[in-house]
Amino acid sequence: MTWGAWMLPLPALVLLAPLTAFALVALIPPLRRRGRVAGLVVVTGSTVSLLAAVSLLCGQHGLDQPLSRQVWRWLPSAGQDLAQVGWLVDSTSAPMLVVVGLVALCVQVYSFSYLEDEPGPALGRYFGWHALFVVAMQILVLAPNLLQAFVGWELVGLCSYLLIGYWWKEAHVGKAAVKAFWVNKVADGGLLLGLVVLVGATGTFAWDPTGLDPAVLTAVTLLLFVGVMGKSAQVPLHVWLPDAMAGPTPVSALLHAATMVAAGVFLVVRAWPLFEGAETTLMVLCWFGGITAFAAACFALVEDDVKKMLAFSTCSQLGYMVAALGAGAMVAGYFHLTTHAMFKALLFLGAGSLIHAVGSNSMAAMGGLRKQMPWTCLLFVIGGLALAGIPPLAGFFSKDLVLEGLMRSGHWGPFVLCLAGVLLTAVYTGRALVRIFWGELRSPEAHPHESPALMLLPMVLLGVATVVVGFLGAHFSVLVTGSAEGGAFHIGPVGIGGLVLALAGLGIGKWLADGGSLSALAGVAAQIASSPLDRFYETVWRRVVLVAAAGVAWIDRYVVDGLMNLVGWASLWGAERARRLQTGLVTDYVAAVAVGVVVLVLYTVGGL
Amino acid sequence: MAGVLPWLLLSAALFCTGLFGLLTRKNALGLLLSVELMANAVNLNLVALGAFRGDLVGQVIALFGIALTVAEVVVGLALVIQLHRHQKSVDVDSARELAG
Repeated sequence: MTWGAWMLPLPALVLLAPLTAFALVALIPPLRRRGRVAGLVVVTGSTVSLLAAVSLLCGQHGLDQPLSRQVWRWLPSAGQDLAQVGWLVDSTSAPMLVVVGLVALCVQVYSFSYLEDEPGPALGRYFGWHALFVVAMQILVLAPNLLQAFVGWELVGLCSYLLIGYWWKEAHVGKAAVKAFWVNKVADGGLLLGLVVLVGATGTFAWDPTGLDPAVLTAVTLLLFVGVMGKSAQVPLHVWLPDAMAGPTPVSALLHAATMVAAGVFLVVRAWPLFEGAETTLMVLCWFGGITAFAAACFALVEDDVKKMLAFSTCSQLGYMVAALGAGAMVAGYFHLTTHAMFKALLFLGAGSLIHAVGSNSMAAMGGLRKQMPWTCLLFVIGGLALAGIPPLAGFFSKDLVLEGLMRSGHWGPFVLCLAGVLLTAVYTGRALVRIFWGELRSPEAHPHESPALMLLPMVLLGVATVVVGFLGAHFSVLVTGSAEGGAFHIGPVGIGGLVLALAGLGIGKWLADGGSLSALAGVAAQIASSPLDRFYETVWRRVVLVAAAGVAWIDRYVVDGLMNLVGWASLWGAERARRLQTGLVTDYVAAVAVGVVVLVLYTVGGL
Repeated sequence: MAGVLPWLLLSAALFCTGLFGLLTRKNALGLLLSVELMANAVNLNLVALGAFRGDLVGQVIALFGIALTVAEVVVGLALVIQLHRHQKSVDVDSARELAG
């Protein structure tokens, strides 16, 4: 390699470039207050990071040897180190590095234009968190063991909270940020517990521990999956994702569509040596994934807010990935993650472009925008068709692989759920496309206009990726597993069936948008969608968590603190009584001395 | 033994008189006199027991004791004068600033 030995190793560059950007923005207030300059610094960091990641991916040949592995001692204990910190670039982490880097760069460039009216200091803060997010995500992706991954996992959760709450002055935004944080924290509890059990059983945080008892393995993987459910928004822990749409749209594109929510799926892929052997856990994954894929698609069908519809769609697609992993089709799940990151980020950026133009999230306020916004329309339709699974776009290939994997595994329940999900996905996508771009202009007074080039450019890049990535399935499979079998596309009954379902779905979607009413169905589904679950969580929060916390606070105040206060109070009480002895009369003191002498003498004589 | 006993009894009587005075007097000078009585009771004891032993040790210690008593009286009188300056009285019961 021409990359000289005197330069930083590439994986270090992947981490250090955004980290430097973050440090500069965070530590130099004048830079931060000039939001756009701070943005330039952050974009530079992300560009360097992406270039390093791409050259790492290109240098990745074969499975035999990780491309780069460098660890330092961390948590030394007797015998061996409990954990190490460093990086591990191999066939699993290299593609993810590029996905994260690419989407992050696109979104950051897009943010310049999308948030151009924001005040400088706020924008500087925004870009700073973006840089921190890239660092955190790459720490997670590059992690050589579960513990470092956990650190990255928590950091991306923090960035998610901070970025959702960007417009924190509005009450519902702050609440959404806190909700996302807490739901993820609950799930992270499972992950942490899984880590503890794992290290208790094997004494290591390694990705591929050996000699694990089957029961312990099942317990560990199930606990890890609880964390995955929170991060990757699987039913019933999906409730935070739609609310997270309160954040700026580019944030939704990067964190809540392409990368952070996919971290859960990536964790399973990374810890595949663990999950591979856990039959029960895989079945649980498969069912949860299938149910999420179907249920979230139903919710998306009745959502009018374009961003929330995409959020439910993200839940649903994550369900496909989890189901594929559960079916043992690891490559299919990982590949769907990659393609989904491209087309869903594209869709979100497109939604941002629409919101920018119309000034509303509601699809009811859009319509007929095809003429006003031709580029956005073209790119959004590409993204939408990829989501629906229409060839030759990326979503078709990866979804086909997922469905085939499910069929081969013989989990018929999840397979049927996912097939129904394909139909529903096409229905809500078709309905949304028709409602947004066709028909007549519904808000002509707003004068919708095409977005500036700085917003369109990242979308074009992602659009190209959406078209191209689908054909790379076989390459991807060779890269990840060493054989093309898991990723090669071939026309089969599943692919054709899926395509027919998707086309039928688009047709139904168009019919619905043209006038077919969903309102009755919508009322019911919206009821089921999230309110009872939200109410249940809220009840648990108020009646159980808060009550328990009040109990603990009472014990702390009256038992722990009470003991301390009792000691203090007893001293005061005793001192108040004892001070009466000090009469101030010399005679009394003399009498005390005399009595004391007599007592001592008597004691001595008696003792003799 | 019989020869020294009356002296010891006299000494004890002197000491108790001094102690009684110390406990009952309110006049600072009276207290000083009482202390003086007790110190001399001790000196008498020392001399008597020294004679009983048949050497000079008791007398030597008694001499030292007298010297110490002189010093003590000097300090004590100085205190009484200061007390008088402070509150125009030598009544010790009226000096109660240290009461708890």
